[in-house]
Amino acid sequence: MTETGPDKHYEERFEYPLWKMIRQRAEEKDISYNAAYQEILPEYLKLIKYGDTEWVDAQIKKYNQETAMLKERESQRKTEGG
Amino acid sequence: MARQQITERVIETDVLVMGGGIGGCPAAAKAAEHGLNVTLVEKSKLERSGKAGQGLDEIGIFPRDGLTPLEAVRIYLGKSSVYDRGGTERVVNPRVLFKLFDNAMWALEELEKLGVNMKYINGEYGWMPWGFAAGGELGPKVELRVHWQNVKPEMAAGVRKRGINVIERTMVVDLLTHNGKVAGATAVNTRTGEFIVFKAKAVVIASGDLERHYNSPTPHFWKYKMGLNTCPAASSGDGQAVAYRAGAYLSCMEMMRPVTIRDIVLMQPGQLHLNDGIPAKVFTWKGDEISRPPGPLQFMELERQGLAPLYYSLEHLPDDFQKRLEVHIADETMLRLKMSQDRGFNPRTHRYQIVGDRAVRFNNTGIVIGDNLEALRGVYAVGECTDTYGIGAGGTAVAGFVVGENICNYVSGAGEPPLDKAQVEYQRQTALAPLAVKDGVEPLELECTIRNICEEYGGTFKSEGRLREGLKRLGSLKREFLPRLMAPNPHYLMRCLEVRNIMALAELHLQASLERKETRGLYIRLDCPQRDPSLDNRRVYQRMVNGQATIEMVDVPELSPDFVKEKK
Repeated sequence: MTETGPDKHYEERFEYPLWKMIRQRAEEKDISYNAAYQEILPEYLKLIKYGDTEWVDAQIKKYNQETAMLKERESQRKTEGG
Repeated sequence: MARQQITERVIETDVLVMGGGIGGCPAAAKAAEHGLNVTLVEKSKLERSGKAGQGLDEIGIFPRDGLTPLEAVRIYLGKSSVYDRGGTERVVNPRVLFKLFDNAMWALEELEKLGVNMKYINGEYGWMPWGFAAGGELGPKVELRVHWQNVKPEMAAGVRKRGINVIERTMVVDLLTHNGKVAGATAVNTRTGEFIVFKAKAVVIASGDLERHYNSPTPHFWKYKMGLNTCPAASSGDGQAVAYRAGAYLSCMEMMRPVTIRDIVLMQPGQLHLNDGIPAKVFTWKGDEISRPPGPLQFMELERQGLAPLYYSLEHLPDDFQKRLEVHIADETMLRLKMSQDRGFNPRTHRYQIVGDRAVRFNNTGIVIGDNLEALRGVYAVGECTDTYGIGAGGTAVAGFVVGENICNYVSGAGEPPLDKAQVEYQRQTALAPLAVKDGVEPLELECTIRNICEEYGGTFKSEGRLREGLKRLGSLKREFLPRLMAPNPHYLMRCLEVRNIMALAELHLQASLERKETRGLYIRLDCPQRDPSLDNRRVYQRMVNGQATIEMVDVPELSPDFVKEKK
């Protein structure tokens, strides 16, 4: 049987970049994960475009367009099906 | 442990706070600020207990930036989209809601004074640009993005600094009453089994809601250590059950919220769009993309077409959004990152199963607050155990401060609470009975059976015949098995007491469902498929009077202009 389900990536090793940084910092300095998180978070946030609303809006627009196309396709399918 | 070995201690206090979460801590701290002697009883450890124990990523609602509290109430109650409930205006007391909104900004300052850092990591208030409360209708910048990993440790430190007597690992058994007034409570230590009697002039119930009367697909948020922010200890409805047995009103217990939930093994991807704008995509089990299923009823339709299970996917999200999600998860429950990895779960490529039609508790069910305190004087309640939990964690903290601020007015005129020895002895015998039972029933076994009954005879699609049968079965369990609960140690004793509470509330849930003979929003009675206009703005009230359960339909009060003016 062809595997078409959602499990194809399930067994792959994965590590969150943020968690990896937290773990490494905690081990390095022998501090708690929570304390390491306090240190890491400001650095990590710098990697994220939090203030770029124009970019975010463009992404949302793109998503909405795709969803609208899907909805149209579904409504056509329903009509065809009677 | 033999019952004879268990000692008894009496503690006198002005105010007893039951539950040390983000409602109980503010209430205790504020009451202590006014010079009252305050005792806080917590079933777990104050530093990490309650639903916000692991952290929070946002808190709201704060009417600001052009939004007035009155307008916020009107929008909130008027929107049928809110929580898919078919309109909260039918069930929420607008006066209480107004009070919460009106005091929200004040509570924000109070939280800072308590030592809780409300500012985000950049040292400024993080007003979220994407308001999602009330379906986004309240507009942007009314919810606060918070980095709340440390909220509970900070709150606990604030509470301890104010000299509050914190008693941990202790579960309240029942309230003590005298002539329609609260006189204290009894409790057991879940480690030593010590039986404790509290003499209190007023009691604040802040013990969270009930979620353990329905099954959850594994893993679901409260399911043991999966979600951690809503663990079983926080969801047994203890506060509601003790208030009911003592004579307080409970309301809207019939309301359930059928939802489509994500298989949130470790996170809630659905929150991403709420925070940052882009929702997950939806796929059928065959891998075909479909437009987003908006609710449980639509989900069921897809299921009938053979397209289920459905899956959410975050694969399409740009890296920037993936990182935001990661921060969001870490803010709320950092441990989920690790748990996710340990299970080989890659959120960027792995798909989340959507579980359709799960009945979970409705937000606004529980102890009636605001206008009906006469039912049992001296009892206050805040947060999820009340009938007005409308504004989430924010509302809970606000309510805590409001109650703490005002409770001294009641306490100053309350007089010395008398101790009814017969009442204490009855509660002692009830509480400690499972310690003496041999070859009895495990509490978890009984709890599962209660859940199965609610699933089978209550659930999303209710009808009179099933509800009556469910009640019969619950009654039989109660007679036959509740007295046979056994506890080999004090920890199990706590579990037994929880099951007693869950059973009481499950019964109320089915009874209230029988009473509301209509279909309204997502409250569905198959035998009464139409909405009954005579039940508009009416709620089911339940109360114990002289040992007898009573049930009635009561009008929801109006938010009159006079009230708004007066309270401001």
